[in-house]
Amino acid sequence: MTAAIFYILSAAALLATLMAITRKNPVHAVIYLVHAFFALALIFFILGAPLVAAWEVIIYAGAIMVLFLFIIMMLELTPGEAARGPGWQRWAPVILLSGSIVVCTLLLMTAEPQAGPGGPNFYASPRDFGYGLFKEYALAVEIVSFQLLFAAVGAFYVGRGERTRRRARGDER
Amino acid sequence: MSGAELIALLPVLILALGATALLMAGAWWPRRNTLIGTGVAIALLAALTAGGCPPPVAEVSGMFSSGPYARFFTILWSLLAAMTLLLSPRYGRARRFPAGEYPALVLFAAAGMALLSSASSLVGLLVGLESFTLVLYILIAIDKTCPRGTEAGLKYLVMGIVATGLLGFGIALIYATTGTFHFAEMHQALLEGGKLRPLGLLGWALILCAAGFKVSLVPFHLWTPDVYQGAPAPVTALLSTGSKGAVFAALVALMIGIGRGLEALAPLLWALAAASIILGTLCALRQDNIKRMLAYSSVAHMGYVTIGLLAGGETGRSAVIFYLVVYTLSNLGAFGVLTAFAIQGEEPQNYKDLRGLGYHHPRRGSALAFFLLSLAGIPPTAGFIAKFNIFHAAIKTDHLGIALLGILASLVSLYYYLRPVIVMFLTRERDLCLDRGSASEHTVLGVCLLAVLLLGIYPGPLFDLIALILPS
Repeated sequence: MTAAIFYILSAAALLATLMAITRKNPVHAVIYLVHAFFALALIFFILGAPLVAAWEVIIYAGAIMVLFLFIIMMLELTPGEAARGPGWQRWAPVILLSGSIVVCTLLLMTAEPQAGPGGPNFYASPRDFGYGLFKEYALAVEIVSFQLLFAAVGAFYVGRGERTRRRARGDER
Repeated sequence: MSGAELIALLPVLILALGATALLMAGAWWPRRNTLIGTGVAIALLAALTAGGCPPPVAEVSGMFSSGPYARFFTILWSLLAAMTLLLSPRYGRARRFPAGEYPALVLFAAAGMALLSSASSLVGLLVGLESFTLVLYILIAIDKTCPRGTEAGLKYLVMGIVATGLLGFGIALIYATTGTFHFAEMHQALLEGGKLRPLGLLGWALILCAAGFKVSLVPFHLWTPDVYQGAPAPVTALLSTGSKGAVFAALVALMIGIGRGLEALAPLLWALAAASIILGTLCALRQDNIKRMLAYSSVAHMGYVTIGLLAGGETGRSAVIFYLVVYTLSNLGAFGVLTAFAIQGEEPQNYKDLRGLGYHHPRRGSALAFFLLSLAGIPPTAGFIAKFNIFHAAIKTDHLGIALLGILASLVSLYYYLRPVIVMFLTRERDLCLDRGSASEHTVLGVCLLAVLLLGIYPGPLFDLIALILPS
């Protein structure tokens, strides 16, 4: 049971990602990417990591995708010409993906197949997760936070316009 | 993390926290030369700490080793950062480098390289590698007056992201097979009945692909010439030496204890080395731009280093480390001269711009010639000893074919290394006048020149040191 759900979800994730990278319309691509994240979140749940699953939905499918949509709309990226053919052809993949993900979610909610054979032999509770993150791999987390600091510095520097830069520069020459 | 672990990590902490401090200082007090000078001092302090402050524990958080091998490379990359910064004041003033950000980024790059070279687990490897590549994306594009720099930064970014993806895949596969990130246990778990497990082999292949991207081995070298050409010369110096050297240092550490697994990887390494040597040499022959020529020649050099990895064992490993040190010094020197040649808004890169430079600037011109000869591997320079060792290690471990290929390629490489030298010294006429070099640039060039010459005449002490630091 768990194995079957895992394979369905993997196929859904792969299909959704494939659709996301082949769409001409960026908004459609984002919608498919959200599907991929939902499928991945369920896979994390099956593997016994509910916290990661929740974060996958909240952070990736929620916050980051909203940001993507926001930027796409702000830049007014022109979508490619509308796909030819009847409407159901365009809707079929989305409906298929959402349907399979919803069905898998319902199955996981009702049947609790994790308890049965083939379920995970490891369960990462939020406490375990926090222990791993802030104790065992604390150093890695710190280094990554340094990286993010410098990434932000780089983004500010590269993105800053010439006029503001001249004001902020304070040349010693 | 205990206090002892923090002390063991002190050199890296000095680099990273120093970088943050410079960043803060630059926001309120943007004096470029003062901050670059402080950056040099911080890097030297980190090198001193790494050399003089013995670590109380052998491993930090199970991710980074603090043994003599790690300390050696921490010192090397800290000194490299110091020298890169010393090359930069005049160049940075002409191109309006940001006062605080530039030295901070260089210092953090050194911290990342030090972390990568001292990685003792796959997590450390990934985190260290990302630390300095992330910084290099920004450093490459730091000259906003030059559109080529932005283009180069974007190219490196896209390629780097692909490489990181591959590395992540590889690590995931190895973790799925072995259940551990730690190098020592990983090798044992990967072997089954004296053979590498199939998933493990796939993981290894992906890790090698990612490393190939970072050190630009064929077929992952496509970004190299454009990035070398577009990046500011001091940044190219850092990129071409430290980032590649650190990846190889990590690979050497990763491959210690691989045992029978090396047999499974040998065809892969062989193919990477042979393709890099052949393609790098052939492409370098056709270049008319010295930075692009050095880019392709670095592809060939990385092929030579891969021969050392292929040979494996004590001899192969010590040959790789010796080669990395010599290559770092020679390449830093060559790009240092190019930095010193740079004038307001322009770097002489094409061979026709180099014409007559040898007569008008004899010291810098002959220094460049010397570094190019060292890269070609001509006897009085250290480059000869380095190449000799690599080929010696290869022949000793029955890799005669690839050793012969390397020797042939070295002969051919004389052509493209001598071409800029000939251009520089052939004619006296010259219409473009260059600035006088600054004292700090000359200091770096002098140090590199002296080191390359000394290692070429008397390499014994470095070999003894390498034998001492190499973990068995």
